[in-house]
Amino acid sequence: MVSIKLDNVSLVYKLHDKLTLSAPDRRVGGPGGRIEGSGRKQFVQALDGVSFELRAGDRLGLVGPNGAGKTTLLKVLYGIYEPSGGSVAIEGKVDALFNINIGFRREATGRRNIVLRGLISGWTETEIEEKMEDIIAFSELGDFIDLPFKAYSQGMAARLAFSAATALDPEILLMDEWIGAGDASFQEKAKRRMDELAEKAGIIVLASHSEALIQSVCTKKLTLKSGRIESLTTEPVKRAGKVAKL
Amino acid sequence: MIAALNGAFDDISKAMKLHRVWVALAHEDIGDQHRRTTLGPLWLLVNYVAFVGTFVFVFQPAGKGAAGYAAYVAIGLLVWFYLMEVMSMSVALFQREESFIEGTTLPLFVYVMRLALQSIIRAGYAIVGCVVILIFSGSPVGMPWLWSLAGLFLILFATPPLITVFAFLGAFFPDSQFIVGNLLRVGMFFTPVFWMNKGQDPVQKYAYEWNPFTYFLEIVRLPITNGEFPAHAFTVTIMASLVTWAIALLLLGRYRKQVVFLI
Repeated sequence: MVSIKLDNVSLVYKLHDKLTLSAPDRRVGGPGGRIEGSGRKQFVQALDGVSFELRAGDRLGLVGPNGAGKTTLLKVLYGIYEPSGGSVAIEGKVDALFNINIGFRREATGRRNIVLRGLISGWTETEIEEKMEDIIAFSELGDFIDLPFKAYSQGMAARLAFSAATALDPEILLMDEWIGAGDASFQEKAKRRMDELAEKAGIIVLASHSEALIQSVCTKKLTLKSGRIESLTTEPVKRAGKVAKL
Repeated sequence: MIAALNGAFDDISKAMKLHRVWVALAHEDIGDQHRRTTLGPLWLLVNYVAFVGTFVFVFQPAGKGAAGYAAYVAIGLLVWFYLMEVMSMSVALFQREESFIEGTTLPLFVYVMRLALQSIIRAGYAIVGCVVILIFSGSPVGMPWLWSLAGLFLILFATPPLITVFAFLGAFFPDSQFIVGNLLRVGMFFTPVFWMNKGQDPVQKYAYEWNPFTYFLEIVRLPITNGEFPAHAFTVTIMASLVTWAIALLLLGRYRKQVVFLI
């Protein structure tokens, strides 16, 4: 049974004072959040007491201003960041679309890039071969698939990334700011595939600033602010569900 | 400490299961570095032979010592260039892999193996040149070559932990990229790559005996140039490799989840 359960998850990381001979660099890297402490003991509270539960068929939209913790939350769900507190329980195979260029090599052809993307996602060679034609067909890249990736427009790259990421029917799909992948007709096609995924007992978590995208794709909406949950709509967003203030 | 070691072994075993990923990426790296060139990766062979040729031309001693000098320099440069490339590329490894580390859940050891394989492939071209030089310089081909081969395998064994240690050093201490780069450049003169230790010059003697890299070079070189099994050099290299593995495992186990916040 596909499910996600977060219980009081927090993520705090120290702003490492790197050993360096140059003047201290105060730029903050990594996830967003609140900067606390002072001097040498600064730390960032990127997530604070985040709890929610998702079941098969749920499509959660993550919204909130820049630095609210949307991407951080997605990365915690994917396993890139280890939470500092609380627990994360995930059942199901997770795939993610954070950076569309991940695993794509500029000099390699689209076809070769599908193989690389598949290997990075842990697919077997047989799985890659089986899905190859489907991915190419869905991406509508046609003859471009045998050209180097650097010849693709941004939209074409995003189409290839989306097609590859959703080809193996991930049970849980995490997407960050996935908007504008291709033209309007491809967006429509992508939305249908997301519907199919969700119907196949999948879970989708999508972080975006586009209210329209969230409304058309998601059934739940979680608003984050400074790493905390501000609100969580428990009914389908499309029907303007009741907003539960936390 | 046990938990750290378990974490490290877990990371390594996952990376080994994903060997297709780092094999594919390493091949892509080599291809990309030489794309659109006529000679392609054969440039690695040309560079190596040109270096050895220059050193032999400039530094070859006169008289009796001249005979084995080409073999001496050929093996010295082969091993030194390999170690130098591994170390200098490792310090910025995690920074270079930033988008992968922040976008995928691949174990860190995948990146270590990607660089290791890439360096081994590059060294492979130099080995071809080295063997040709050895044969032309009249080094007798015989059983001692097997010791030399064992020495090469020992260096391969030490490569992944060496990369790991330097990669963590670079992640925690970004200035080390420049420090390591400079030390390696100077290090070539303090390592018996192209000079021979006659035991007369005290500086040379210390540089020979107290530099761990001496022994990495000698386990490959002495069997061929002197036809002997360098027991002492092998012992020192094995000990150094094991210590490096121990440090690498502890770093990997303890800090692998922290790297994403450091880069």
